[in-house]
This record gives sequence, C-alpha cells and structure tokens, in this order.
Amino acid sequence: MAPPRPKLRVRDVEIGHRSGRKGTYALAVDGLSFDVAANEFIAVVGPSGCGKTTFLTAVAGLIPISGGTLELDDQRIDGPGRDRSLVFQQASLFPWRNVVQNIEFGLKAHGRLDAAGRARVAELVELVGLGGKGDKYPRELSGGMSQRVNLARALATDPELILLDEPFAALDAQTREVMQEELTRIWQADGVQAGKTAMFITHDVPEAVFLADRVLVLSRGPAHLVADIHIDLPRPRTPSMKRTAEFLAMSDRIVDLVMAQSQIGKQAEPGRRVTSDDHAGVAAG
Amino acid sequence: MTTQVSQPASPIAGPLERAVNARKDKKLTTGMLGLIGLVVVLATWQIAASVGWVDASFASSPVGAVKALVHMIGTGELWPPLLSTLESVAYGMIITVVVGIPLGLLIGRSNTLYGLTEPLVSIMYSVPFVVFLPIIIFWFGIGAEARLVIVVWSAIFPLLINVIAGARNVDAHYLQVSKVFCAPRLLTLRSVTFPATLPFVLAGVRQAVGRALVGAIVAELFMGNAGLGYVVQTETSAFKMDDAMAAIVVIALLAIVLTRSVAWIERRFTFWSSSV
Repeated sequence: MAPPRPKLRVRDVEIGHRSGRKGTYALAVDGLSFDVAANEFIAVVGPSGCGKTTFLTAVAGLIPISGGTLELDDQRIDGPGRDRSLVFQQASLFPWRNVVQNIEFGLKAHGRLDAAGRARVAELVELVGLGGKGDKYPRELSGGMSQRVNLARALATDPELILLDEPFAALDAQTREVMQEELTRIWQADGVQAGKTAMFITHDVPEAVFLADRVLVLSRGPAHLVADIHIDLPRPRTPSMKRTAEFLAMSDRIVDLVMAQSQIGKQAEPGRRVTSDDHAGVAAG
Repeated sequence: MTTQVSQPASPIAGPLERAVNARKDKKLTTGMLGLIGLVVVLATWQIAASVGWVDASFASSPVGAVKALVHMIGTGELWPPLLSTLESVAYGMIITVVVGIPLGLLIGRSNTLYGLTEPLVSIMYSVPFVVFLPIIIFWFGIGAEARLVIVVWSAIFPLLINVIAGARNVDAHYLQVSKVFCAPRLLTLRSVTFPATLPFVLAGVRQAVGRALVGAIVAELFMGNAGLGYVVQTETSAFKMDDAMAAIVVIALLAIVLTRSVAWIERRFTFWSSSV
C-alpha cells in the first residue's frame, strides 16, 4: 500500500535534547520511521509529552535531528524551508498586522507578494470564512477566528507539506468541532485536485480519525511508531460520520492503543514497534 | 455552513464598542471630577488671598497669576523664555532619541552588553539626577552646553530602560513565525522586531519628554540666564509672585501639551497593542 516514492520519508529518526536543571541529555524521539504519500493527510497521536510536537518541530526544520533521515521530496530537511509551513498551536498572529496582512506574511517573506499572491490571499480570506473581516486586527478576533487566519497564513505560500501543531487544542469544545469540519472542507477545497500533504499533531483521537487518511500512534517518550492505521471513511467527511459505529469503533481502538502507551510504565511492557511497511498487522477496516 | 453559527457577523463590534463607550463614560466622569477638584483648590486660594487669610504679596492668587500671564503675553515678555525652554527640551530630546534608541536596542539584543550595563542603567535611572548637578556645573560650566547635558542626563535613562525592555521582550512566537516562513533578516527586523518593540520605545519617549522638561527647568533654576525656570527664579527673587506663578502655569501647560502629544503619537502607531 505504500506508494513507490513517498512525499515525506522518516527513517530511524532520533531527536535528543538537553532538559531539566542538570541539563541531562534525553531522547524525545527514538527510531521513528514512516512514510507519507503525496496529498495524504496524516494525524499523529500519542500520550502527552511523548515527543510528537518535538518531532513536528524537527520536520519544520526548527530543531535538528540527532540521527536517522528526514526527507521531503528526496531533499534532506536541515532547516526551515519554503516547501513547508506550520500552523502554530498558539495562533502567533502579528498584532500590528490585520487579517489580510497576516495571511500575506509568508508570501512577503518569500518575495512572492505580487498580484497573483494578493489574489490568492483574497481567495483564502473567503475560503477560511473570514470574508469581510480582512481589515480586522488580531485583538478583535476570537480564538477560532485567529486559528482560521493562522491556517490561511500557512496555506498562502502553497507549501508541499503543511504541518499543524495541535491547532485546536486551545479552543472551546464547540468551536473546536466547527473548526474540525472547517479544516476538512478547506483542505479539500484548496489545491488542484486533492488536498495538500498534511501532518496534524493532536492528542484528541476522534479529531485525528475525523480529519486524517492515516493515524499514526506514537509510543510514550522517547517516541517510536506503535501503530499505523488507515482511516477508510469516505470524503468529504461530515459531522454525522462521527456517530457511525465504524467511526466509534476505530476511535475506541486507537484510544486503547494510546492508553496502553500512557500506562506502559505500570505494565512494564515495551510498545511493539512497527514500520510504515508493516501496516498489515494493525491496519483497520 | 457552520461558519455563521459560531461567528455571527457582528458580535465583535458589539461588546468592543460597548467597552469603548463604557471607557469613554468613565473617562468623562474622571475628567469632571478632576476639574471640580482644581476649581475647589483655586477658589479656596483666591478667597484666602482676597479675604486676607494669607498675604497676597507672598502667596500670589489665581486672579493675580492670570493677570500677570495676560500682561506677559501682551508685552511679549513670555515668548523668549518659552522658546528658550522649548529649545533646550527639543535639542535634549533629539540627542536622547538619536542616542537612546539605537543604544537601547543594542544593549537589549546582546546578552553580554545587557549583563554589563544593566546594573549601571538601573542605578542611573533610580538616582535623582539633580545630585549630579554640582558636578555637571563643575565639569561643563553654566552655559548652554551644560544645560543640554542636564536635559539629556535626566531624559535618557527612562528611554533606555524602556527600549532595552522592549528589545529583550520580543515574543519568541513572533520570531518563530518569521523563521518558519524563511523571512530574510531585514524583513524580520523591519516587520517583526521593530513593530514588536515600538510600544516600548514610544512609552520610553513619553517618559523621556517629561523628564527632559524637568531637566530643562532645573537647569534654568540653578544656572540659567534664560528660560521659564529662570523667570520663576528671578521673579521670585524680585518678590513678584504673580509673575512667578504665571511662569509656573506656563510650565504646567507645556508639560501637559508635550506628554499628551507623545501619548497621541503612541495611540496612533500602536493602536493594535492590547495594552494601550
């Protein structure tokens, strides 16, 4: 099932960092391997503190990896690049720029803010549901609206890979549901045929199942891959799918896998390692 | 779609406008109370002087001060000292801003420089600058240069403290956004670091203008031969209390106009900041 030429290639990735007051060296990610195909939306779940955000930060090029290979389109990732953009957990909008100017920032940074760029920004303002609010400043926006701008800013540069770091974690439950539906709609609407290749980090399993084509379950830190589950729900995804038996069964299974990782210390049993070529054992459906 | 459900068209304008109106009302009430307080004090003073509870030739009186002020405006006596003071403040502020802002940014961006200078700047900011007055006179004499030194000395430290704080407190999230989108250094400086620091810089300038005026007046009181402070000094010595009071009124108005102007600039350029 793995495509011949993956978009993102993750092989035996190891990420270490110094932590604590003593500055002891600790591994956040250890031996993580998987592939992401073009136009695939993958969600990464795992127990809190397992290193999923650290991994995402490395893919964004903000921190170096200490071992293994990390390649996007066969190019080694060794720093931030124009081919990737990040939807931040905190919206991190510039308060001195209005909605349109915030969305324009990436294009401006790339020196691509020409007529076509502006047209794209105007299109995105509409697409993310902020029509008529282009001249509002961040302090006038709600949390949900800020995250719409955050998302549009990341989409504006038309990246090869879009990284989303728990973008809805800080939102209230209702806004969060709305934003999940919005994200699937936007993701399918933007781009030529299918959505962009996306990697979404979350600790909310139903959110992961609802959004993704594939859900990766990471172990307790240092993170490695525990399960790689295909979500066979049809697109476009609708809120009613969340109540189907199929959806609930899938969510339950993944929740169990995550919970088993959270409690692994008590069970003293290491998580089973799988690679992305080893779907068969755990593939759903 | 569901967009409209969670984000109706107008709810941001509603509460925000209400809050703004409430703030305006509160401002109005505070303004009225302030006016009443001022009137009560002035009336008491006037009555005390008129009835003879205090000697008007010692205490002056609001009416006397206003009469003296009108006279000074009429004869044109007011303008040379006013211009002289304004000139000291203006030159002092130019030097303060030109030196203070780049220096503050430099210190704020370098941990080593910050470590080296932080205690010194804090001490200089905290110690009342007037204690250096005799030494400054000893070093620079009592000419125009010495007055300028005093103005800059008194104005630069509040500006430095603010600019340093601003440069050190650029939100790491902002810089990360810049990094992720591979923004060139110059764009980051111009579009991220500069606007993020601007509220601190302008707050520093506002404080510095107030302190520059204090510096100018103190310099004129002790070593001047011109300026509003000099007028207060000489008129008091000549026992012309009404004239001295009139000069003080002008100084007060000047202080209000100067700080309000900078505050206006501040609101104009950092309206987006939630702290304004």
